[in-house]
Amino acid sequence: MKKSFFGVCGVLLLVVAIFSTVSAANVQVRISGWGGSDQAIIEEMLRLYVNPTMEKEGITVLYEPIADDFQRYIVNALSAKTAPDLFYMDIFWAQSLIQAGQVEPLDNYLAKSKILKKEDFIPSLVDAFSAQRKVYGIPKDFNTLALFYNKDLFDLAGVAYPDENDTWNTLATKLEQVSSLDGVYGLALQPEYARMGQFAYAAGFQTFDQNGKSNLSHPGFRAALEWYTSLAKSRAGIMPADLGQGWGGGAFGTEEVAACIEGAWVIGHLKDQAPNLNYGTTFMPKAPSTGERGNFIFCVAWGMNKNARNKQAAFKVLEQLTSPEVQQWILERGLALPSRVALTDNPYFKQNNREAYANYIVFKGASEGIVEPYSFGEYGGRWMSPIDEVLRAIMSGESTVEEGLREAQFRLDQEMQR
Amino acid sequence: MRSIKEKIAPYVLLSPYLFMLIVFFGYAFIRCLYFSFTDYDLFSPPQWVGLKNYLNLFRDFQFGLALKNSLQFAVIVTGFQTIFALILAVVLNQKIKGIRFFRAAYYMPSITSSAVVTLIFMWLFQKRGLINYLLTLVKTGYPIILTFCVFTLLIQAFFIFIEKLKERPVSFFEPSFLFLSVMLSLMVTLILVKTATVTLAEGLAPIETVWLNSKKRWPNSGVLGISYPLGSIMVLNIWTTAPTFMLLYLAGLQDIPKELYEAAAVDGATKFKTFWYVVRPQLRNITFLVVTMGFISTLQMFDQVAIIGDQAPLDAVITLAYYVYINAFPSSVSPKIGMASAAAVFLGILTLLIVLLQKKAVKS
Repeated sequence: MKKSFFGVCGVLLLVVAIFSTVSAANVQVRISGWGGSDQAIIEEMLRLYVNPTMEKEGITVLYEPIADDFQRYIVNALSAKTAPDLFYMDIFWAQSLIQAGQVEPLDNYLAKSKILKKEDFIPSLVDAFSAQRKVYGIPKDFNTLALFYNKDLFDLAGVAYPDENDTWNTLATKLEQVSSLDGVYGLALQPEYARMGQFAYAAGFQTFDQNGKSNLSHPGFRAALEWYTSLAKSRAGIMPADLGQGWGGGAFGTEEVAACIEGAWVIGHLKDQAPNLNYGTTFMPKAPSTGERGNFIFCVAWGMNKNARNKQAAFKVLEQLTSPEVQQWILERGLALPSRVALTDNPYFKQNNREAYANYIVFKGASEGIVEPYSFGEYGGRWMSPIDEVLRAIMSGESTVEEGLREAQFRLDQEMQR
Repeated sequence: MRSIKEKIAPYVLLSPYLFMLIVFFGYAFIRCLYFSFTDYDLFSPPQWVGLKNYLNLFRDFQFGLALKNSLQFAVIVTGFQTIFALILAVVLNQKIKGIRFFRAAYYMPSITSSAVVTLIFMWLFQKRGLINYLLTLVKTGYPIILTFCVFTLLIQAFFIFIEKLKERPVSFFEPSFLFLSVMLSLMVTLILVKTATVTLAEGLAPIETVWLNSKKRWPNSGVLGISYPLGSIMVLNIWTTAPTFMLLYLAGLQDIPKELYEAAAVDGATKFKTFWYVVRPQLRNITFLVVTMGFISTLQMFDQVAIIGDQAPLDAVITLAYYVYINAFPSSVSPKIGMASAAAVFLGILTLLIVLLQKKAVKS
């Protein structure tokens, strides 16, 4: 009895010892992002750049993409303490996670790092993920809006291409003219603030005024709303939903609209769905009142879980994920725009094809005119939903601009008081 | 004197289910009740705030909309699905050949997944979808439909007239003549259409009602108006759940003794009077069950709203269950578990009240 007892103990100890040595040699760092087309890109990036370097340090990277609603997943995972060590943070909702104290401040790690420095990245992007002068996320790429137009359709109608000197009025005229073609509408008008707000910013509107309130009767907002919805009255513009499409890029790909306002993400979609579409890209038109353009910055960063088990290892993986080599690789495949300052004059942008040019315009869009980050403080998507609803109502003829403005202001005040 | 083993045996057998019930229902319910009195955002510890959440609920515009939509949905869908279930059951209770096939066919909508049905109906309800197309066909085809009906009537009247001349008793709806009239009328209409004597109406605008992406209400824009997207969801919900309750009614109908039918026939009751005065009261218990289950499930309708997503404006389709969801898992800000729990508790109490009210109404 005693012999077998000691025998079992000995075997158990041996097993424990083996496991502990194995785990000590091999630290696991879990990272997560969204699924879909992003998944294949990240997997290849890990295979080519991150895993070889990390294996030398004894770190295995476990990639767990989430196919569905990422933000809901991460909130639940962080609350249940099962969240990955590194995860995407979208500029749209990053602040709520940071304020809730779920993200690790990175300043100490950045100070000690030899590879990763805060100054390497575009300052406005880093600021979007900072709070109380501490950095909480490293931006991995960004996007802005650009005007994509179908060169063939414009040629057929004999209309000059939209260019960087266009104002709202000249662009509207061009869209009217090109919509004289059979079965073609001018601009895809997504009924969303995310595609209309940049015009409001161009005309001087600010999301939150100095008292922290949103005043939709600001002349800039009204002018943008009137101009945007007026396009839908003629064939100069149409809501993608009325063509059975879910977004402007979809309608643009099927050549039912001659132009759409989207970010660089539409380039990948067009490469897939409409590889022979001859498109051109240009900046947003200027507002007649201020002579300025406006734009949004959409940005995603990597953040570290405050309760990550091995933060040093996680930071090493973060260094690799945002390294210049990885960003260059992603840029060359036209997948996203780099957030590193050093890559702003990269030879990729000087290539002579429409995709590189489109990426160049989107990249430049971050510094042209009045550019605001795509975030709405503590209100997030709820800030935009009254305006989205009113845009839809006005463009489907169910409401006038006056009624719409009143309704939007009423509902927005309601939302902000909740 | 039963042994200890025999006494605890029932509890041992019940324990797996009891465990699930206590953990997933009891504990969850108590926790939800607790959270409804706190301010909780999933990260910091919950802070007690008393009845503030409940007060905020009634000040919230969106909660009012959700309540109104839920009540409209519950009343209309429960009402219609009970009526249709009863009618279907009576019709399918006949002993004719092939009735089994019809029972299976009419039951099909209930076995489909609600997510799939919602997706398909979203396609059907598009601006250029099948439903608008069929409505346009009816609108432009009214000359043809009118011709067909008129000829059917005329031919049937002719047959009946001849029979009446021979002084034979015959009802206007005599099936054999009806069948003949329909066939002959079809042939005549076909000939008229082929020779282009009767054509589709020209110059009429096609029907392009926006069923989903609209805030229009029917019949008017007042408080009692039903929004178009909610109406569409009601139609699809009635279509999928009426067959389930039809089964219950069928079972109930089998229980009615034949003597009652015979007694009614002896007293000279027509088919409709038999149904209204004999069959309906016998089914009272089943009606109570169907209406109760109907109310409980329609008050908690969530999946159709979630699947329709942003195809319809949220105000027009939001229900109480969806309101709980968007407060517990908002799209980009910190969760408001306190408000969500308060709304969930309110929904539970509302359901209980409605069922109790309905029970009182039936008893009286």
